[in-house]
Amino acid sequence: MLLLAGPGVLFILVTLLLPLLAIFMFSFWRTASYELYPDWNLDNYHVLFTEAAYRTFLLRSALSAVVTSLLCLLYAWPVAYFIARHGGRYRLLLVLLLAAPFFTGVILRIAALQGIFGPGGLINMALGIFGMPPIAALMYTPLAATIGHVYLFVPFMVTAIYLSLVNFNFDLLETAKINGAGPWRAFVEVTWPLNWIGTAIGLALVFIPCLASAVTPRFLGGPSATSFGMSLGQQFGETGTWALGSAMGVVLFAFSLLVLAVMGFTVNLKRSGFTGMGAR
Amino acid sequence: MTSVGDRAESWRRLAMSVLLCLLYVFLYAPILFVIYASFSEDIVWPFPPSFTTDAYAELFDNSLYSDALNNSLIIGLGSGVLSTLLATAGVIGVLRFPSRRRALILITFLAPLFVAELLIGISSLAFNARLLGLPGNLFSAIAANAVEGTAFAFLIVLAQLVRYDWQMDDAAMVFGASPARCFWEVTLPTIWPSLFGAFLISFILAFNNLEISFYNLGAIPTLPSVAWGSLRFGLGPELFALAALTNGLVFAVFALMYVLMRTGIVKFGYRGV
Repeated sequence: MLLLAGPGVLFILVTLLLPLLAIFMFSFWRTASYELYPDWNLDNYHVLFTEAAYRTFLLRSALSAVVTSLLCLLYAWPVAYFIARHGGRYRLLLVLLLAAPFFTGVILRIAALQGIFGPGGLINMALGIFGMPPIAALMYTPLAATIGHVYLFVPFMVTAIYLSLVNFNFDLLETAKINGAGPWRAFVEVTWPLNWIGTAIGLALVFIPCLASAVTPRFLGGPSATSFGMSLGQQFGETGTWALGSAMGVVLFAFSLLVLAVMGFTVNLKRSGFTGMGAR
Repeated sequence: MTSVGDRAESWRRLAMSVLLCLLYVFLYAPILFVIYASFSEDIVWPFPPSFTTDAYAELFDNSLYSDALNNSLIIGLGSGVLSTLLATAGVIGVLRFPSRRRALILITFLAPLFVAELLIGISSLAFNARLLGLPGNLFSAIAANAVEGTAFAFLIVLAQLVRYDWQMDDAAMVFGASPARCFWEVTLPTIWPSLFGAFLISFILAFNNLEISFYNLGAIPTLPSVAWGSLRFGLGPELFALAALTNGLVFAVFALMYVLMRTGIVKFGYRGV
C-alpha cells in the first residue's frame, strides 16, 4: 500500500503543499522594489479587506463562477447521461471528442471566440450582410466572458458526471419503474442522489478555475471586467508586489475551501453509489 | 401504456442526442475558425474570405515555433508519463490494500483538482524562486504540471478500476505468478484503456498549459507562452497554422479510433458486442 501510493502522496505534498505553505508565509511579509522582506505584518490582508476594488474583483469573480457552474450543470447532465447510457461501443470516443479542443491552447480558442463574436467576427459580419446591426451584448461584455467560461469548462463537468454514470447501475431504474415511479421521480430519487458525488466534483472543477480565471475576462470581458485572477497575476508580473499577491492567493484558496466545505456537507457517503470503496 | 412510455423514452433520447451534437458544434466552431483563419490573408478581419498559405511557410521558417513546440512536447510527455505512473500506482494501492489511511490518501491524490491552476503556478514560482533560488526551468514546469495531471489521471483510473475484479490477480498468484508478472499479464491487458485515457488527458493538460507553465518557465518558450507574448502585437498567423496542423493530426487519430471501434479490432475497454 505505502509502496504503491507513497510516491504519489509524497510528490503531491512536496510540489503542491510546500508551495502553498510558502505563499501563506509570504503573505505576512513585505515587498519593496521587487524584493521580499521577512518583517511579519498583516498589512497585505488589511489592504485586501479595506480597499473596495479587491472586494469588487472577488465578488465579480464569484458571481461569474456561480453562473458558469449552474449553466454547465444544466447542460452537462443530459449530455453525460446520453453518452453513458446510449454511447455503446463509442463511449470513449465521444468523451475524447470533448477533450480534443484542449489540443488548441486556451489563448487561441479565446481569440477564435473573439473572431466569432467580436466586432469583425462571423456573427456580426453575417448580420451586416442582411443589413442588421451587430449584437452589442456579445462584444466585450460579462455575457461574452461567461460564454467563454462555459466553453472552456463544460467538458470537465460532462466528464465528471460521465465517470460517475458509467459506474451507475441503470438496472435500478427498471426496479424504480416496476415499483411505479415515473421517469422524473426515478431521476430525482435514484439517479441524481446516487451520482451526486460525481456531480459535486464536476461543479468544483468548473467553479474553482472560473473563480481564478484571468485570461478569459481579459480578452472577452471588456474594460470593466477585471477579475480577481487578473489582479492576482499582475501582482506577480507587472507590479511585482509578491507579498500582496501571496495574500490574494491565500484568500482565493480559503474561498475555494469554503465552497468545497459547503458542498462536502451535502455528500452522504452511504448513498454515494461508490459501493466498491466501502467494501472490505 | 408501455408504448406511450417507450415513445416518451425515445423522444428524450433524441433530445439528449441533439444536445450532444449542439455541444460538439459549440466546442468545435472556434477550432474550425482557427483552421479557417490560418488560411486567410488578414487574421484580424478574416471576412470576407481570401486565402493564402503564407502562414504555413513562415511557420517552418521561424525557429521560435519549433523550439516552443519542442518544449511543449517535453512538458506534455514528461508530465503525462509521471502523472500516469504515480496515479496508477496510487489507485492500485488504494483499491487493493485497504487501510485506515485510505481516505487520507484519496483526499491527497484528489486535492490538486481543487486548487486553481493560477494558484499552482504562482505558488510554485514563489517557492522555487524565493526559497530554493531556482530560475525558471523545464523540470519545475513538468513537476508543477504533473501535480494537476496526477489528480486527473487518478480520478480517471479510479473510476474505471473500482469495478475491477482483483480475484483474477489472486488466481494468477495462486498459480505461481509473481506480482510483477501478474500485473503485466493479467491486470494491464484489462485496464490499459483507462491508463491510455489518463495519459492522454494529463498530456493535453500539460502540453497546452498556460498558467502553470508560464510562471515556472521564465523565458523558455512554449506554445501557449508564445501565444500569450504575441497577443500584445496581435496573434501571429503562424500560431493558427500550427494549431490547424495539430488538429489535423488529432482528427486523423480519432478517425483511426473510430474505424478500430467500428470493426471491433480494438475495443478500448468496451465489453459489449
